[in-house]
Order: sequence, then C-alpha cells, then structure tokens
Amino acid sequence: MFFRILKRELKRKKTMNIILLLFIILAAMFIASGINNMTSVMTALDGYFKKANVPDYWFATAYEEEINRYKEFAKENGYEYAITPLMQINPQNIIIKGEKFDYSNTSCVSAISNSPKVFDKNDNEVKHINDGEIYVTAEQASSDKNDFSLGNTITITENGKTKTFTIKGSVKDALFGSSMVGMTRFLISDNDYAFFKNEQAKECYSVSIYTNDDAYYEKYLNLELNTIFNINKSGIRMMYMMDMLMAAVFLVVSICLILISMVILRFTINFTMSEEFREIGVMKAIGLKCKNIRRLYIIKYLVISVAGASAGFALSIPFGNMMLKDVSENIVIQGAGGVWLNGVCAAFTAAVVVLFCFMCTGKIKRFSPIDAIRNGQSGERFKAKSRLSLEKSRIKPLVFMALNDILSGVRRFISMILIFALGLLLIVIPANTANTLQSEGIIKWFNMSECDVVLTDEMMLQGDGNTKEMLIKKLEEVKKFLKEENIEADVYQEIMFRMTVHKDNKKASSLAFIGINGVTCSDYDYLEGDAPQDVNEVAVTKFTCDKIDAHIGDYVYINNGKETKKYIITAIYQSLNNLGEGIRFYQEENLDFSYAAGCFGVQIRYRDNPDSKEIGERKNLLSEKYPGVKAFTAGEYANYMIGDVAAQIDSIKLLIFIVVAVINMLVTVLMVKSFITKEKNEIALLKALGFKNTYIVGWQTLRIGIVFIISMLIVSAVSLPLSKLIITPIFRMMGAENMKFKINPAEIYIIYPVIIFLVTTLSAMLTALQARKITTSDISNTE
Amino acid sequence: MEKILEVKDLCKTYIVNKRQNNVLKNVSFSVMEGEMVAVMGPSGSGKSTLLYTVSGMDNMTAGESVFCGKSISALPENELSDLRLDRMGFIFQQMYMLKNLTVFDNILLPSLSSKANTKSRQEKIRYGQDLMRKLGIIDIADNDINEVSGGQLQRACICRSMINNPKMIFADEPTGALNRASSEEVMNELKKLNDEGTAIMLVTHDVKVAAKCTRVMYIVDGNIKGEYNLGKEEKETSFRDRERMLSNWLMEMGW
Repeated sequence: MFFRILKRELKRKKTMNIILLLFIILAAMFIASGINNMTSVMTALDGYFKKANVPDYWFATAYEEEINRYKEFAKENGYEYAITPLMQINPQNIIIKGEKFDYSNTSCVSAISNSPKVFDKNDNEVKHINDGEIYVTAEQASSDKNDFSLGNTITITENGKTKTFTIKGSVKDALFGSSMVGMTRFLISDNDYAFFKNEQAKECYSVSIYTNDDAYYEKYLNLELNTIFNINKSGIRMMYMMDMLMAAVFLVVSICLILISMVILRFTINFTMSEEFREIGVMKAIGLKCKNIRRLYIIKYLVISVAGASAGFALSIPFGNMMLKDVSENIVIQGAGGVWLNGVCAAFTAAVVVLFCFMCTGKIKRFSPIDAIRNGQSGERFKAKSRLSLEKSRIKPLVFMALNDILSGVRRFISMILIFALGLLLIVIPANTANTLQSEGIIKWFNMSECDVVLTDEMMLQGDGNTKEMLIKKLEEVKKFLKEENIEADVYQEIMFRMTVHKDNKKASSLAFIGINGVTCSDYDYLEGDAPQDVNEVAVTKFTCDKIDAHIGDYVYINNGKETKKYIITAIYQSLNNLGEGIRFYQEENLDFSYAAGCFGVQIRYRDNPDSKEIGERKNLLSEKYPGVKAFTAGEYANYMIGDVAAQIDSIKLLIFIVVAVINMLVTVLMVKSFITKEKNEIALLKALGFKNTYIVGWQTLRIGIVFIISMLIVSAVSLPLSKLIITPIFRMMGAENMKFKINPAEIYIIYPVIIFLVTTLSAMLTALQARKITTSDISNTE
Repeated sequence: MEKILEVKDLCKTYIVNKRQNNVLKNVSFSVMEGEMVAVMGPSGSGKSTLLYTVSGMDNMTAGESVFCGKSISALPENELSDLRLDRMGFIFQQMYMLKNLTVFDNILLPSLSSKANTKSRQEKIRYGQDLMRKLGIIDIADNDINEVSGGQLQRACICRSMINNPKMIFADEPTGALNRASSEEVMNELKKLNDEGTAIMLVTHDVKVAAKCTRVMYIVDGNIKGEYNLGKEEKETSFRDRERMLSNWLMEMGW
C-alpha cells in the first residue's frame, strides 16, 4: 500500500516532481563543480610549485663574474642551487610565421636540459626537445598578440646565425610563465642552444636556490650582487597574482553558484512541500500516523534527490572543467578533490534535500488535519495578505497584480531576487575589475606619471653603457619629431635600477626609479608626505618601508652599485611594480645610468589636451615614424605590462555572462512553471472572468520583470562596495594600497543588466505561454 | 423580448480510456432577455457541463451556442474573452477569488481591465462600491478573502459578475456551498438583478432556488427532458405555491 501511494504520488504530481528534479540536478551540478574547483584553485599554486620544484630563492644576473661570486658564496655556505643559462634575443629578431614577435620585455632562449621543470598542456613534464622544435610559455601562447599555433614556424636570428623552428607546443613554466616576471623564454634543444652560443651572445643566468636557512637572504644581500631581479618563493607566488586574480574571480563565481544552489533548493522544497500539505491533512484525517506520512515524503524526496544528484554529479565534471579552463591555462591545476569530491558534493546535495524535507515534514506533528488541509490548496490563511489596493492605486490592473503578488508573498520571490542579484554581481564584479585595470589612471599605480601615450622601450635602453645624456637625446628626438608635426608635448621616461636600501640593520633589495627629461617628482601620487624636492630626498613604497621598518622622516642608506648614500624619506607611495617595492629619487639626483636595470616606455604628454580620437591619430603617426615600436595609451600600456589581465578577465566575464544568462533562464523557466502549476486555478478563474492569454502571460512575465528590477536595484547599491571588498585585498597584496575603482556605468547599469533582463523576461514569457493550455474548466482542478 | 442565448443541437462528448461518454446529446433551447432559467437534474446528468459549454467556458463537440447574436464556437479565443469580460457574468459554486487581492479589488479587477466599460476609473470604483452596498457587503470591502464568511464571499462573487453590467449571468450552483440563510440572501440578490433586466441561467439542486426562476429545465442523461414555465413571481401567487407546483412537476420528471 505504502509503495502504491508513493508510486502514484510520483506519477500524479509529474510537473512539480520534474521541476524539483531539475532544480536538484542544477544544484548538485553547481555545488559539486563549485566546491571541487574551489579546492583546486585554492591549492593550485602550492601544488604547482611543488610539482615544478620552484626554488626558495631566485635571482637573475647578466654578469658571469657575479655568477662566479655567487658560486663561491653558495659553496662556502653549502647552499644547493641550479643555474640556467639564458640567451637574450631581441624580440625584433624573432619572426613568428613571417611576423615580428610582439613583445616589449626581455625575451630569451634556453636549453631544455638546464631548465627548471616545465609542463605541457596536459600537465606532463617536458623533458626532451628535438632539434628544430621549440616550446613557448603558455602565457605567451594564450595571448592573441602573436600566433603561436602548433606547427607554426619561428625564425630566430642571433649574432648572424639564423634558425627556423617548428612550434611543438606551449609549456607551463613556473619561473618564466608569469607576465609579471617581465621576461619570457623559448625552450629549445641543447644542440640548438649550442648553435646560437658564441662569444658575442648576450647570456644571462637564472639561479634557483633551495635552502631553508632563515639567514640566507641577509647573507645574500650582503653579497651585493648586481642582479636583474632577486625574489623569494613568496615573491614568485606573488608573480602569479594576476592568475590568482582570475582564480579569485572564479572563486567568487563558485561561491555564488553554491549560494544560488542553496537558495534554489530551499525555494523548491518549501514550495513543493506546501503543495503536499492538503494531502498530509487528508492522510492525518483518515488516521495515518505522522511517522508513516513523514516516511512517505522522505522516501519520495530521497528518490527524486538521488536521481537528481546522480545526474548533477555527471554534469558537474564537464561543467567544472569548462569553468576551470581559463584559470588552468598558465598553471598546473591538479584536481584537488578529484571526481570523488564531486560525488561527495552531489551526495551532500541529495542529503540537503532530504534534510530540508525532514525539517518541513516536522511541522506535520504540530498541525491538526484541518490546519494541514488549509495550508494546502484551499488558499485559506489566517492573516491579511494583500499589500496594495487596486482601488487606491493609479496603476494599471496588470502591473498592480504583478506588484501586489510580489509584495504579498515576498518570501516566495526572495529566492529569485537573491539568485538574480547574485548572477548580476557575478558579472559586475569582474567587469569593474577589468574596467579598473583598463583605466587610464592605473598607470599611476605603476610608478609612472599620467601621460597620453607610451611608446614601447625597445628604442631606448641599449645594453650596457647607457648615459643619462644618451637617453635624453633619444627622448628629445621624439619631442623634435612631434614639434615638426606641430604637436607640443613633454617626452620623458622612467629609468629603473635595482638597489639595496637599508636602515639600521634591516636591508631590502628594491627597484628604484628616476624620471628623466622634464618629469618631476611632484607629477606622481603619494599616499603620505611630500614629493622629494632635493637630491638627498626619496619617496619609498609602503611595501619597501615595511621591509626595513622605515617611516617618513627616517634616514635610509641606498647602495646604487657604486656607492652608498644617505637619503631622507619624504613620502610613501604605492606601486604595482615588482609586487609593491620601489624607491623614487628626486629627478636631479645624479645616478650612474650604466647601472640601469631597465626602463619603462617613453611617455608623451601632449600640452593641448587632445581628445581620444586625436590621441589615436597621433598614435598612428608615431607608429609610422617608429616602425616596430608600439604606441599605447596609458591604460593600454599598464595593462600590457601586467599581461593583459583585463583581457583575460574580459574573456572569463563573457563565460560568466553566458553562465549567468543560462542560470537565469533555467531558474526563470522552472520557477514560472512552478508558479503556473500552483496558480492553475487562479489562471483558470481569470480566464473565466474574461482575461485574455496575453494578460495572463503579461502578468506572469511582469512579475519576473519586477523581481529582476528589484535585484538590479540591489546590485546597483552593493556592487561597488562589494567589488572593493573582494578585489582590493588582492591589489593590496600586489602593492596597491589605495584603489580607485573605475566603473563603466553604461556597461554595469545598462548593457549587461538589460541583456540579462531581456533573457530572463523572454524566458518568463515563453514559459508563461504554457498558461494558454489552462482552460476555464481547470478552475477547480489542481495537479 | 429578444433571444439572448440560443443553443442548437449541442453535443458534448468526453473520451475516457478510449470510451466515448456522451454528456450532452443534441440539446437545444433558448434564453430570452430578462429571463431567469434554472437547470435541474440528477447528479451526472450534464447540468454543469451544459452551463459551461453554452457559455463558452468549455468546448462543445457539436452544435451551436449563439450568445448576443455571436456564435460562441466560431469565436476566436480573444473575442470570447472579451465577451466573457464585458457581457457575461459567472458565479461558481466554490467562491473562487484571487488570493492576493482584497474583496473589493477582486470585484474591481474585471471592471478596470475592461475596454468596453467606458466609465471613468472613479465611476467604476463608485459603481463597485454601490454594488457591494446593495448586496450588503460594503463593510468587508478592504478585507482579505479569507477574512469573510462564505455567504459574504458568494455575494462578492455576484458583485464581481455584475461589475461590467453583463447581459447574462451564468451561475453554477451559486448556493451549493452556503447555508440556508446565506442561500436566501444570495438568491434574493440574484432575483433583484434579474428584475433589473439581467438574464440569469443557473444550475441548482435546490427547489427553493429554482422556484425563484421564471423557467426550469430538467435535464436527464444529457437531454432536456422537460421545461416548466414558472413565470415571473407575482404578488397573487405565493412563493410557497411556486415551490409546490415546481416540486410536483419535478416529481413527474422523476426527481
């Protein structure tokens, strides 16, 4: 008898049972893929670094004598290290399928045998490369600036020797695979490396050190090596901050999907259980015991939830992989939990459904049979429901009904409001992040002053022997060219050094900057204090200050390679460069430019405040004059330096946008279907009273539309503070203490919400068309 | 007097488990303006099906139902809706109302949604209040539907059916769920409406209710077995006499 009732119960309430099943599938899919991906992403770097054997300390130098000094030092102290020779190749001399390599930082080739571990796209270690084959970093391969498609050719010319390689694939390269490292490398065979190597070759050395000696760094700094960079493991980890930014966006997506699932489950169980109450009442009335009634429903929900969770589990695997694709492009992400975690999560979803059901049916004991019957279909309630008055309001009946329904049953719509709001936040937060990263103002976070155009730096610093005069001469040439074109502009540049700064007994290695050819210290933003106004004054980033425990007004000693000089800190500023480290010298300070470690692009600030169209035209003019040099706006340049993260976020934004649209569509379809099933007799009554199908479809659609608009208003109010709350800590870790979010109101408040609104309301409308099938004779029929 | 409803050879067949169930078999009748017609018959004889089919609430299998000169079966869905909204009124045995609206808003909704009703919003509101006052339920206007009694709710349903001044009201056992006192009240109100010129066709099991009508049709097995013309209630004939005469006729019919 029990199973006969159960069988009929499953068959008779087909629509509601199918809706419940679909919701459980969705929830199980989101929870399983979300939690598994969350654990994968959170442990991704640790797992990757372990797999790639990332060193505890890492530095690079261009000088063989420095390497020899280090070898002695390591030998004395018994440090384990590995040296990877890299041959610098001018990006101009690298031709990919007939096109010059579009890259503005240092590019190198290195031999596979000396390389730290690298992995192919399937996460298998690449140990051998055949002669004539070449691998590029995944970071380069995924960028659309160059066509590194499999099988394409790369021709490298160095010291008069040319060789053409075939691209064999891309590698996940823990040390050189981040855009923030400021260099990239191509991996070739040992024979091919030997082919290019000769006395003229510009070799530099990457040194990986493996030690757990706490005093190592202090000893290393005392060595005062002339390096291109030096960094410890946490620094290497920070280089992946941009990848982690993507991962953070993804984490937010996963958390939102899980929240959406829980909201969906709560709604569905409450909704379907309220449908059961009349029958529960009847069963109680005919004398069935509470525990038997409860058992019946728990088994029913168990059957549905097990079926739903199994399907959700199967779907969670491809769905999770699809979501992880963007994050795992550049790093090895080992499925932390594996498939079993998906299974556990799906089982958890089924358990939650049964638990919700258990909790809902708990009320059975407290209800008298008639209470249960009245809580069901009869519609009888014992408190006022209507919140608005048609008589008193001036709005049209259709709008009134939709609005009144929502206000009269907020609990029924709250789940939908939450789901829509979470979906919109999922789109808005990455969009705000991408817009901020693409904004013109972001260049200031890179220790650069505001400008209109930046030319890539290949034309400037040329190996050793640079002098300030030489550099200024080149900048003046640009200025002269612009003047000939009747364009008045300031042309200046940031020159970068690596220096050691110390206060008392604390030392830190930091990038140091000086602006040349007209740019002054007062052109930069500072968090505290005043810009340096004399040659013995410096501004220092908060990050570097913290390292040496220095404050404004403190004296510090800076060694620029040749001498150590005393400076007073007059200001503290923020920078995204090298994860927040930096020192800014007064513009007239006499530094030895032969020690320059690099430079930023040539900055041009027009004096006539041209509009963006004019700036674009002038960019073209500069590109024509300096072929091979790229011209960027300030925002484009900043973004270029951080590896076009904004574009990556843009691409994940599109994926999220599609996912949110699909979620909204599914939730809307299922919810409208549920509402129609529950309101079948009210719809039939409206029809009997003479209301047309268009009215009923409009009523159902409008309700969803209003719910969406409410969600939109909530999101408008909380999106910016939430974006700041989530994204600011990530930028703070990278050195940006004080972030100003750039929002694009048209995108955030109009384009995305309107598209999602259209998708949602269209889904509601198409689903509501189902109400056409309800006839006036259904007035007293309920499922 | 003109015919407001004319039904010709109306058939209604349900197919259940491949078995044909002929509920209405070539039913023909007409209702004149100002008439109040009761449909009686044993349970399962097809009374409610007849009411719903002639009013277009349910599809007919064959035949024709002409309401106000328009053949209902030939009307497109939207025109049929307009007809229901503007020219027909419905009262159901169960007091179906929209749960989220107050009693008055339920009454007002069809009026504010009607394009044919050319009154201003204020006039519509005033008319709705007048109807409620006439039916003695003005005090419950702002109540939720769960806060009033069945009799009050059924009178609210009558107000709703009247709000757009329909030509005819169809009522399916309007007093079926009410006690005797409430039933009396409701029938008196329907009678008043009929006296004011609204045609009424109602299905009932109650002789007292049917005795208030001008004509009674007796239906058995989907056929009209007979009709009894009671005519308008007049002072010289007491209601008890009408009831007795109708009872006698019903007994002849096999009631």
